[in-house]
Parts: sequence; C-alpha cells; structure tokens
Amino acid sequence: MIRRRREPVYRTSSGFVLNLDDDQRHLLRRLIGEVRELITTGSNDDAKTRRLFPPAYTDDEALDSEYQRLMREELVASRLSSISMVDEFLGATDGRAMSTAEVEAFASCLNAVRLILGTLLGVADDDEPNDPTSPDFALYQYLSWLVDSAVNALMTR
Amino acid sequence: MGIEFVTLVAAAPSTIEKPDQRDDETVAPDNPWVVLVWNDPINLMSYVTYVLQKLFGYSLQKATELMLDVHHKGKAVVSSGSREKAEMDVFRLHEHGLWATMQKDGANGKGSSE
Repeated sequence: MIRRRREPVYRTSSGFVLNLDDDQRHLLRRLIGEVRELITTGSNDDAKTRRLFPPAYTDDEALDSEYQRLMREELVASRLSSISMVDEFLGATDGRAMSTAEVEAFASCLNAVRLILGTLLGVADDDEPNDPTSPDFALYQYLSWLVDSAVNALMTR
Repeated sequence: MGIEFVTLVAAAPSTIEKPDQRDDETVAPDNPWVVLVWNDPINLMSYVTYVLQKLFGYSLQKATELMLDVHHKGKAVVSSGSREKAEMDVFRLHEHGLWATMQKDGANGKGSSE
C-alpha cells in the first residue's frame, strides 16, 4: 500500500490510530453514555436493551432463568468495563495510539449501539429499516462503517 | 474434490487412519452441549468473523466458513463441550453482541426449532 488510507481506524507500527475529529469523538461518547444509562437503569425486559441480553437456553425456561440470574450482572459489568475503556480513550487529548484491547472494545461498544438502534429501526434481513431516510438510519450506517473499519484494522497483519 | 481425495490416498498408502484427528469438526461425541450462533440482520459479517477467530482461535478460513453458515443457513454450531464450557462460550459471545444459544447435542440441532 502506497496511498495513505483515510480509514477511521488503521494500524501503524506503533499501534492503532483513530482517525476521528473531536465532533465525532464527542458523538460516540454520548452514544455509549446512553448505552451505559440504559443498561444500568433499564428494566430487564426493556425492548431497547433486550437484544443485548439474549437467552442462553431457548428450549428450557428454568435453565435460562437460572443462567440469567447468575450471568446477567456479569454481562452488564463486562459491558460497562468496555464502555469505560472506550470513553476514556475518546476523552483523552494526548493523541496516543490505541491498543488492540481498546480497538476491540471500540468495536463491541459501537456494535452494542448498533444492536439497540437496529432493533428500534426494525432493520431486517436486507439491512434496510422500515424508514431508510431516517436520521437514525444514517447514524446506524455511520456506526457500521466504524465497526467495519475497526475490524479490518484488527485483521490486518 | 473426489479426484483429489483419491490421489491423496493413492500417494500415501501407508497412512494410518486417525479417527481422532478431525480438526475441522466442532462436535465430538463426548461433548454433549453445543453452542449455536444464529443469523441476525444487524451484526456485520466482518465483525462476526473476527469475534469467532478471537474467542475460539479459529483460522480466518474456518471463522469465515462458520460465519457464512450462520448467514446462509440461519445458524451454525461454533463450539461444544461440557455444560460449563458451553455457558462460558455463550457468555463470551453475548459480551460481543452475537446471538448465541446452547443446547444438548442433537436436541434440536437440525433446525426444527425455526
């Protein structure tokens, strides 16, 4: 590759670069802050967050409620920890490179936003929502682009 | 494929059959629980492939095959093992936002639930 890539996330010899301006970083911090709010204060069967906490057992309710009782809190804690890591990086002003763990957390946090947004938009198998002109769908596609870029950077050797 | 196989066998007549070395099989008879990943319209193909590689150490080729199975057939078995291991795998897949469930091997694995 000779051309300098303008990908939002790319790998260099000293780590990953997040190529986003302050406005975009601010937007992403706000979005993952909303996820944090939803998963800490939302109820267990809130339609918005249901997709973040799928059942483990679909053919045995008793086993699944036992699983949820034991694991849900841990899943919330894990998500909060990823959100904190990403929020800290996005808020940093020292311009340092991202670690692999930070890029992975970045991808999974933004993916969590996509899961919520996609559910609300009714994104179906053809990746088209009920209303493809809605601003939320533009946001959803923007997040798809960021997640894809992060994954491609991670997979680049 | 068939011709290649015959050639391979002919070229290595003394090779001892090793039934345990089935690297690309995810289900073994002594692993009673299977973990399924289900197709969903939101998770990106690239993301699913990466998560399968990261969590299970699969090669890019193996992870891509599983992702395509999920995409085209609606689901794929991505791991198997004891109930404890399967629960941990499901948990790690849920951490990454994949739609994963677990069940007894053979309980419903042929797709009759959907």
